[in-house]
Amino acid sequence: MIVETSHLNLYYGSFHALKDIDLSIKENLITGIIGPSGCGKSTLLRVFNRMNDLIRGVRITGAVLIDREDIHSPVCDLILLRKKVGMVFQRPNAFPLSIFDNIAYGPRIWSITDKKTLRDIVERSLAAVDLFDALKNRLKESALSLSAEKQQRLCIARLLAVEPEILLMDEPCSSLDPIATGKIEELMLVLKRKYTIIIVTHNMQQAARIADEVGFMLLGELIEFNSTKKIFTNPSDRRTFDYISGRFG
Amino acid sequence: MDRHFDEELQKVKKNLLEMASLVEESITKALEALKKKDLKMASEIKEIDHRIDRFEIAIEDQCIELIARHQPVGTDLRFLIGVIKMNNDMERMGDHAVNIAGSVAFLIEQPRIKPVSNIWSMASEVKEMLKDSVKSFMDNDAKKAQQVCARDNVVDEMRDETIRILLTYMLEQPDKIGSAIPLLLVAKNLERIADLTTNICEDVIYIAQARVIKHHAEEEKG
Repeated sequence: MIVETSHLNLYYGSFHALKDIDLSIKENLITGIIGPSGCGKSTLLRVFNRMNDLIRGVRITGAVLIDREDIHSPVCDLILLRKKVGMVFQRPNAFPLSIFDNIAYGPRIWSITDKKTLRDIVERSLAAVDLFDALKNRLKESALSLSAEKQQRLCIARLLAVEPEILLMDEPCSSLDPIATGKIEELMLVLKRKYTIIIVTHNMQQAARIADEVGFMLLGELIEFNSTKKIFTNPSDRRTFDYISGRFG
Repeated sequence: MDRHFDEELQKVKKNLLEMASLVEESITKALEALKKKDLKMASEIKEIDHRIDRFEIAIEDQCIELIARHQPVGTDLRFLIGVIKMNNDMERMGDHAVNIAGSVAFLIEQPRIKPVSNIWSMASEVKEMLKDSVKSFMDNDAKKAQQVCARDNVVDEMRDETIRILLTYMLEQPDKIGSAIPLLLVAKNLERIADLTTNICEDVIYIAQARVIKHHAEEEKG
């Protein structure tokens, strides 16, 4: 298991957003988290790289282990954690910099300054998201000139440049059209060979198509966590069935 | 764009073709055992049938998972629905091969009788139909599938003729009834296999052209 939570509870002030969540996420799989709006799925995702720390009034109890290390331990290096656990957001958030500098941004923070090394990283990262051939002659152009889908690929490449282990994806296709969504999904299926992917999605069909395992959340609880096949052919909990069959949500 | 889903569909097709080749092997071997009155060979059919049964379960499972996870439409949906039906038909053909092999035990003590030659020509036609139906599925060839369907009548006629000859034979030589009855059953099983290859071809046509030709549906529709 690369990610494990035990009795994880999260409170925004007095609001109990995550309730006693026990979860085990396996390496090199795509794990989908589904559930209606406000069920806590994005909150759960943000726990894994401690993004919730930025929110005032957040209180977390229980354990969250990544590679068997407690990420809330005082000795946990937050910068290292966020290098290891990268995040892709709903809207592509390319920096207003050149394509090259977007990718080189992370490595430079990690004190890589050698030009050839940086070039190699940029090439490798763009190639991993199948963008290098398309962009190799445009590396000095602004990243903001790219289409939404290419910007989202670029954001994924930017994560890969710092060699993470886990990619957190929060509705990564919600601002993309169906063709661009299909391309990002195919990319995820390639990336899972090397990385562990946890994706939060409103789009149940997307989870069905690409995830290996799926967790269904409702009102802060993890109702069911199972193989995607089991969830979509024979869910154990009636509430999961009601949600995936469109009876509520 | 290459879709991961297309790879999954290809895996289903590959599995069904592997199952089909086991079914062909099973039928060929059952008929060979019958011809040679070879009980040992006949007993091997059950093992092949177990493998066919395992394929049936696995393919059905694959199809259900793909439908649940990908909500296929158009050709993809027709393909998966067609495969589920063909899968079932092929498993039934495997059972008919077991039945044919089962006749060997009854025939082993009986003297060889003349009408058996009709069975071999019927068997050869049925095997060709099966081979062609599998090929039409492999190539998504509706035209070839339609040609195979037309041959079902030939097998029906062969069966009728075989039954007629065997009945006459039994009336004339009641002491040979023990040899004739198992052959009647073989003829019946072969005819059912031909019907099932026709079903497969109807599914190939449905997958390739979205046409339903069974039960003369197109003629009724006008």
